[in-house]
This record gives sequence, C-alpha cells and structure tokens, in this order.
Amino acid sequence: MGVYDGFRDDLLATVPSLRAFAVSLSKNTDRADDLVQETLVKAWDKQTSFQPGTNLKAWLFTILRNEFYSQMRKRKREVEDSDGAITGRLSVHPAQQGVADLNDFRDALALLPEDQREAIVLIGASGFSYEEAAEICGCAVGTIKSRVSRARSRLQDILGIDGEGDFGPDAIATQIASSAFSN
Amino acid sequence: MNYGKQSNRRAAGRRAGGDDPLGANSEIGRKLRQYYDDLVKEEIPDRFSDLLSQLETQDRAQSVGKKD
Repeated sequence: MGVYDGFRDDLLATVPSLRAFAVSLSKNTDRADDLVQETLVKAWDKQTSFQPGTNLKAWLFTILRNEFYSQMRKRKREVEDSDGAITGRLSVHPAQQGVADLNDFRDALALLPEDQREAIVLIGASGFSYEEAAEICGCAVGTIKSRVSRARSRLQDILGIDGEGDFGPDAIATQIASSAFSN
Repeated sequence: MNYGKQSNRRAAGRRAGGDDPLGANSEIGRKLRQYYDDLVKEEIPDRFSDLLSQLETQDRAQSVGKKD
C-alpha cells in the first residue's frame, strides 16, 4: 500500500516512459534499468512528499534525472572519453541524402550534450509542456526553448536534413500553390 | 489530430509555421517520436514489478511492527 491506493500501479504504469527517458539520457539499456530501479526505490521512500493529484510522471522524471546527473558526476571522465570516441567515428560518414534511418538518428541524438538531449526528448517525445520540462530540469522555460532549438539544429546538421517543413504537408501545399500561380 | 477547436487550430498553425520546432512538419520531430515510441514499447523487465512488490511487503511488515 502506497501513499494512496493504486500508487504502486501508477508507478508501474510509468515505467515504460521512465525507461525510455533513461535510455535517452544514459544511451545504455543496462544503465537505464539501474536508473529506473533507483528511481522507483527513491520514489517509494519519499512517497509522502508526493501530492496525489499532481503530475506523478513529472515527479518521477525529476527523480530519475537527478539520479542520472549524480551518477554522471561520479563517472564524468569516463563519459567524456566515450563521447569523444563516438564523435570521431560518426564525423567520418554523415547521413546520406537527408534520409537518415533510425540508427543514424539514435547515434546523432547521442552526440548532443545532455542538457540539449533531455530537453528535446522531454518536449518532443515524452509529452511534457515547456513549463513541465523546465520544472523537471530546474531551469527557466526560455532555457528549455533554446536548448530544444539548438538540439534540433544540431540534429539537422548531423543528419544532413534541411530546414523545417521540407517534407511536411505545408511544403507540398506551398509547391502546389506556387505552381498554380505560375500557370 | 483535432482541428475542431479554435485553440487547437491555432496550435496546429504554430506547429506548421515552425514556431514549435518539433511539430508535425518536422522530420526531426517525427524521427524523435519514432525512436522514443520504440523504446516505450520494449518489454519491461519483471524486476520492476518484483521490486515494487518487495517494497510494498516491507512497508506492510513495518506498519504491523509499529502497531504491536
């Protein structure tokens, strides 16, 4: 029995997205599973500090993120070394023709600094608002916005994708509109 | 996507306009969601469910201990 009925089930229901966030941060499934495990233990221990009815997912993401950074500080040197190795390897073969497959995307994401990577994942994939992401990361909303924007430009550069809208319906609509005018 | 409400339409317009950098028109946004959704769909190891059961059992044992 947790702080409220169903606390345990709610924790468990959040595990898939917690784990996806953990993999995004740590780039490693084993480490991600350890992070999720540590997060669940911490969440259980301090469950009385959670207010039922508020955003459990955001609360758990905050705990996991704090755990990640405290672990990372401990092994900072090791992380920097492996990042350098990946950068060197990837820069040899940029993605072809802007059509990057999912593995290329994962590699590109791994090249981003942690603060940009977590921002773009929280906003673009985990379903948090800018306000929630700012709270999770303990920074200003504007900071999250600029990190997301930098992350996106960097990913476009690495993957060789041109500016936004190239493949979207608006780009097609614009083409149709402009060809209609030229006729 | 729901275009029925004015506010939704405005939000969609912002995305299409590029103010939301990861909107439906963004290739990066689509790839990011695909990457993440694949991770979310992965099978979850039993260890997490087991862990929570263990924590629950511990709590129950402790609260019984307090009452005595």
